[in-house]
Amino acid sequence: MTDQEPRERADAPGSELGETARQMRAAEPYISAVWKLVGGAVVGVLGGYFLDKWLKTSPWLLLGLSLLGIGVGFYSFLHAMARLGKRK
Amino acid sequence: MRKAMVLFACLFAGTVWASEPHGGSAAAGEHGKPHDETDAEGEDVAGYILHHVSDSNEYEFEIPLSHEHVAFHLPKILIPFHEGACTPVVDPHGGHGEVYPGLGAGCLDLSITKHTVMMWLAALLLIGSLLLWSNRDKTKLVPRGAGANLFEMLVLFVRDELAIKNIGKEEGPRYVPYLLTAFFFILFMNLLGLFPWMATATGNIAVTCGLAVCTFIVTQVAGIRAAGLGGYLKHLTGGVAPWLWPIMIPVEFLGLFTKPFALTIRLFANMLAGHIVIFFLLGLIFMLRSPAVALVSVPFAFGIYLLELFVAFVQAYVFTMLSALFIGMSVAMGHHDDHGHGHKEGGESHDHGKAHHA
Repeated sequence: MTDQEPRERADAPGSELGETARQMRAAEPYISAVWKLVGGAVVGVLGGYFLDKWLKTSPWLLLGLSLLGIGVGFYSFLHAMARLGKRK
Repeated sequence: MRKAMVLFACLFAGTVWASEPHGGSAAAGEHGKPHDETDAEGEDVAGYILHHVSDSNEYEFEIPLSHEHVAFHLPKILIPFHEGACTPVVDPHGGHGEVYPGLGAGCLDLSITKHTVMMWLAALLLIGSLLLWSNRDKTKLVPRGAGANLFEMLVLFVRDELAIKNIGKEEGPRYVPYLLTAFFFILFMNLLGLFPWMATATGNIAVTCGLAVCTFIVTQVAGIRAAGLGGYLKHLTGGVAPWLWPIMIPVEFLGLFTKPFALTIRLFANMLAGHIVIFFLLGLIFMLRSPAVALVSVPFAFGIYLLELFVAFVQAYVFTMLSALFIGMSVAMGHHDDHGHGHKEGGESHDHGKAHHA
């Protein structure tokens, strides 16, 4: 096995990342930022809905947490974009 | 292409179904058969397809050129969490017979099913083929035989084209054993479904979900290895102020599950769709009640069968490729957050783990 290794190393063509991997890594921060934007609203609305159901405070927690979730989503989205801009 | 085929089959079936009243009345006039019988036969085809592609507690063998079936009842293993939790109840969905309560009612069903048997068979084939075709004679550099060469080609493909190209030269080889296992296990499960009397275990969402959970765990472990536990947890906060963490942590946590969810649904739907299309094309013979339809539908079904043979490899490849891609992204993200040295996005490989580990 040991005498096989140099041959395999020399043959290995994967010294560079593939095109798909490069593109996905480039896109990942943007996908993550979009998820933060959408996810904030989703978590706020769902959290508010179920808390309202549990605490019987409908519709106040739904309204409050939805607004908070949307706000946090926007904030984190802009924060991520600003950080990406700085990195560039 | 596959979607187009499904769409085509659906449109064709829809046309047949829509024209049924006229054809049906003609048939009723000519042969004295009522509408309901035709409708029932149409439903039977759908029922047959669903019965064939779904999991069950019995293994059924159809004897060719006869209407006889030989069924083997597989063992039922039920673990009740409390007294009487696994008592069978009448099917709440209006089906025939009794069903066992689910996990929510405190009954853990670990019964052996048709798809479990297929998974065992795939695992046995995987282990057997590796034992048979691995290079056991260390004095020879080159393995002999077609099987050994085919396996070597596939192994090298997974290592060089999937692991190294998606994860990187340094970190990639670490994850090759997992990727190879996933690739060959899925490939064998996919191919088994193309043999008569066998079933496709990957056409079961529980199986694909289990495989995606394995990838999910490996991805998270890769992320923790690259960024450290602190860096990994810091990433989950989304980089916002601490008072916003109660919202942002659930968002980031849910975001972790989007990738394994995509893996689960994609493999499941692709494998299920192919089988449904084949059965549907053959079922048209019975739905249209004419043997002449076989002249068209059998060659079509044969074509789709050949396509399925190709798809078996493609799906194993895609699952492994996406797993490698997600692991690579996790590794890269860890290194990026760890060092913050301003790599150009999408430029250089972030994989320099070896230098840091050293």
